Amino acid sequence: MSDNPYQDDHGNKDASITNTKGIGTMQPAHLKSGPTHKVDGGPFLIGDTMTGGYGKGPDILHDCTIAVDKGEIAVIVGPNGAGKSTAMKAVFGMLNVRSGAVRLDGEDITQLTPQDRVVKGMGFVPQTSNIFTSMTVEENLEMGAFIRTDDFRDTMEQVYDLFPILRDKRNQPAGELSGGQRQQVAVGRALMTKPKVLMLDEPTAGVSPIVMDELFDRIIEVARTGLPILMVEQNAKQALEIADKGYVLVQGRNAYTGTGKELLADPEVRKSFLGG
Amino acid sequence: MDLLNALVALTNYVIVPGLSYGSQLALGALGVTLIYGILRFSNFAHGDTMAFGAMVTILLTWLFQSAGLSAGPLPTALLALPFGILGTIALMLLTDRTVYRFYRQQKAKPVIFVMVSLGVMFIMNGLVRFIIGPGDQRFTDGERFVISARTFKKLTGLDEGLAIKTTEALTVVTAVIVVAVLFWFLNKTRTGKSMRAYSDNEDLALLSGINPERVVMYTWMIVAALATIAGVLYGLDKSFKPFTYFQLLLPIFASAIVGGLGNPIGAIAGGFIIAFSEVTITYAWKKVLTYGLPESLAPDGLVQLLSTDYKFAVSFAILIVVLLFKPTGLFKGKAV
Amino acid sequence: MTETMKHTLLFVFVGVMILLEGMTDFLFFSGSWNSALVILNMGLISAIMAIGVNIQWGFAGLFNVGIMGFTALGGLAVVLVSTPVIPAAWSSGGVSIVMALVMGALTVVSAVMITKFMPAGKLRMLVLSAVMIVGFIVYRAIFDPAVGSVEAINPALQGNIGGLGLPVLLAWPAGGLLAAGAAWLIGKTALGLRSDYLAIATLGIAEIIIAVLKNEDWLSRGVKNVVGLPRPLPYEVDLQADPTFVERAASWGMDPVTASTVYVKAGYALMFTVVLLALLWMAQMALKSPWGRMMRAIRDNETAAEAMGKDVTRRHLQIFVLGSAICGIAGAMMTTLDSQMTPGTYNPLRFTFLIWVMVIVGGSGNNFGAVLGGMLIWFFWIKVEPMGILLMELVTAGMAEGSALKAHLLESASHMRLFTMGLILLLVLRFSPRGLIPEK
Repeated sequence: MSDNPYQDDHGNKDASITNTKGIGTMQPAHLKSGPTHKVDGGPFLIGDTMTGGYGKGPDILHDCTIAVDKGEIAVIVGPNGAGKSTAMKAVFGMLNVRSGAVRLDGEDITQLTPQDRVVKGMGFVPQTSNIFTSMTVEENLEMGAFIRTDDFRDTMEQVYDLFPILRDKRNQPAGELSGGQRQQVAVGRALMTKPKVLMLDEPTAGVSPIVMDELFDRIIEVARTGLPILMVEQNAKQALEIADKGYVLVQGRNAYTGTGKELLADPEVRKSFLGG
Repeated sequence: MDLLNALVALTNYVIVPGLSYGSQLALGALGVTLIYGILRFSNFAHGDTMAFGAMVTILLTWLFQSAGLSAGPLPTALLALPFGILGTIALMLLTDRTVYRFYRQQKAKPVIFVMVSLGVMFIMNGLVRFIIGPGDQRFTDGERFVISARTFKKLTGLDEGLAIKTTEALTVVTAVIVVAVLFWFLNKTRTGKSMRAYSDNEDLALLSGINPERVVMYTWMIVAALATIAGVLYGLDKSFKPFTYFQLLLPIFASAIVGGLGNPIGAIAGGFIIAFSEVTITYAWKKVLTYGLPESLAPDGLVQLLSTDYKFAVSFAILIVVLLFKPTGLFKGKAV
Repeated sequence: MTETMKHTLLFVFVGVMILLEGMTDFLFFSGSWNSALVILNMGLISAIMAIGVNIQWGFAGLFNVGIMGFTALGGLAVVLVSTPVIPAAWSSGGVSIVMALVMGALTVVSAVMITKFMPAGKLRMLVLSAVMIVGFIVYRAIFDPAVGSVEAINPALQGNIGGLGLPVLLAWPAGGLLAAGAAWLIGKTALGLRSDYLAIATLGIAEIIIAVLKNEDWLSRGVKNVVGLPRPLPYEVDLQADPTFVERAASWGMDPVTASTVYVKAGYALMFTVVLLALLWMAQMALKSPWGRMMRAIRDNETAAEAMGKDVTRRHLQIFVLGSAICGIAGAMMTTLDSQMTPGTYNPLRFTFLIWVMVIVGGSGNNFGAVLGGMLIWFFWIKVEPMGILLMELVTAGMAEGSALKAHLLESASHMRLFTMGLILLLVLRFSPRGLIPEK
């Protein structure tokens, strides 16, 4: 039995009465947005000394700081269970941040819901379930642009230029694409809002090494357009090679921070996380 | 042997009734499937929603009839239908506001919604009986037949007649229009696509800036319209009785599941599959066979596979068979 | 106030309500002990049904919406067990009917075997359809004439296969067995599928069972009903003719007619209470046993239980059969109480969904909750009608005599029943989602 009597899991397996496919599982820290206020200086996007956990649960992050500036790629790496994805989710408003703050483009957005952060200019690509599988590629992109009221055909062209394969497959259901292509759709969908910052949660999870290299190339290409990218990666070595800034997290704390090159050169980091 | 007459008899007793009943079931199943796909539960109150919509339409039809309004050869109920839809939409939105919304805010599990819909079912059932009574109501007027058996015989010179009731023709035509509009809406409009997106992946829809409350509102409105249309067409074709509508829930669920819950195309296909199996298995084939077979083979009995009272049994037997072989339904459920 | 106190008070409230029904005709009460006992008896039966459903839903999370079917099977058991043997029916066609049914069962079994053991493909489809079609034709060829001859025997009173002429009390466990058998078949098909389709399967099969009972006159006389079923207690007329009873009635200060009806009803109430207590005790023991704990573990996290090597489907089947058997027993008791079997009166709103209201309102997962829900909701189910009439009289008091609206409101007051049940359900789900006596 769960604490909330409405969320007991009895009988939810009976497919003739309940439909749990695609059901919402997101647990935003705030159901309603609180106030924001202007702040001066600092990086373009920063999760500043964040401490917090899911719901009323124990703290998972401890004074964790993640930041990315314009034109940069920032990468979060670390061993399994280090809180990499959690740190990114905290920046996106899916974690109860009990102390610390999240600031985007000179505005404190700690009290905003994830949806409102999207409106403020955050583009987020979750690790899994990040496309509408039953909809065509083009419809996926259209849904990405849902909040826009202006003409978004230009943006769609840009996405197709970036990921040419999607142009060929635009009328195919996204669920029928290969793993790498799905990730392209997912990134493309996030780009459709014309975000000010792009956040990728393990974009290369579960794809082959060749596809992974290609995805990294695309990500660099996106970054060259001036869009700051914050990324969680399992493949620490490749990720740090393209990173302007790297964060190594251990047990929810910043263990090492530096440029990608510095971290790759750091013998401690090499020994503990990069396999020598 | 007389194939032409056999064909006419088959059309008259099996194909025409099957088509119109199938259309009614398809419209009902579309409503169930949309709720299942988007709101993620099976709505036990759907039969009673149909009854409510039909009731509002009937009351207005009587009002129009007494005011001398008529739609010529077509039933007056067609004039009242838009208002009936509006009334049902109002009730659905009110129900959502006062009942269902709370559970959405609580992020309640689907099975809780199912139980809530049981409560709504009781209330709506009581409401309809309270207002119009539990009895049979007829409200069909206008021309009775598009083509009557006698005219058909005269025209063709055949022994067998073919009668097509106005209500049957109307049912099929309306169903085709409604389905076409619905599919256009779901596949081509921004709102329709946002509904499909919400059904596909709730979290991602939220992140894309789709407002769930909006999606839910449109869903209830569409479902109210579908239920009212299905209810009125069924009432015109047969008759209106609250309890019959409640029982329609069974073949409607069966249709939606056979087709694949959550899939609109499946709902339509399921509606016709269920309707035709009910009609063919409970129809006495003697007449058709007598015409269609050489005289020596002509049957003595009625050649009725099962008595008409077993029509529910038929829909469920089909349902079980389909589920055994294709557990997600014929059209792979869940793809609103 | 402690939880236990609160729960006890709820039971006391129901008891007081029933007592008031017997004692006073104030407001909506009738002041008749007969009526109070009628409510009590059906309340007890409802409580048993609620326990059955609670075992399935509360213990295991199985959504059974076919309670009506199992109840009706219990009723059928009474007919088959307790009505006198009709030798003519057996000699004329009974044996053939049984043969036909065996034939039909064999066809289904061989069809299942074929799908299981033959490789998929055109050949299998062909063989399968051939077996089904031939089986069906043979079945109908044996069945139809046999049914005709059975139904021809004394159609005004019998025309059915009759029963075994055994004591009616034996029909109660028999009803449980019959329901259990049906539940096993349903569960085997619906729970074995990749995802469960239990709800829709039970919903449909309940309708099929009722359709069979309504139409197979050879079995249950269909809509002609089986009346005058034997009963475990003396008949009122016999009691009234018995001078010792009349004397005793006089000593209680009652006239013999009332005394005899009350006596019989009180006798039923006693018997039902014994059954209810026995089942409640067993359900409690089961809940607290390791088996019950495992059940709840499975309910709360099926995936984890499966990973720990529990055979979830098997456990579900087990509990589904048990719960349905209890509904079957209750159904047999109900038919015994009415001493007639009337297939036409089975209505899913009353026999399936009302029981659900009882379980949810009482508290799913708690046996005492189910009992309370059964008694409480049944009391309201009966008394909402007079309450509604009272309310409508109040509402329409100011209206002009003879106005159409007033007449309509007064006339429709009886339909308040369904409305009120829905309202109670929604209120409980909203404000006390785990029911009046929640699971511990």
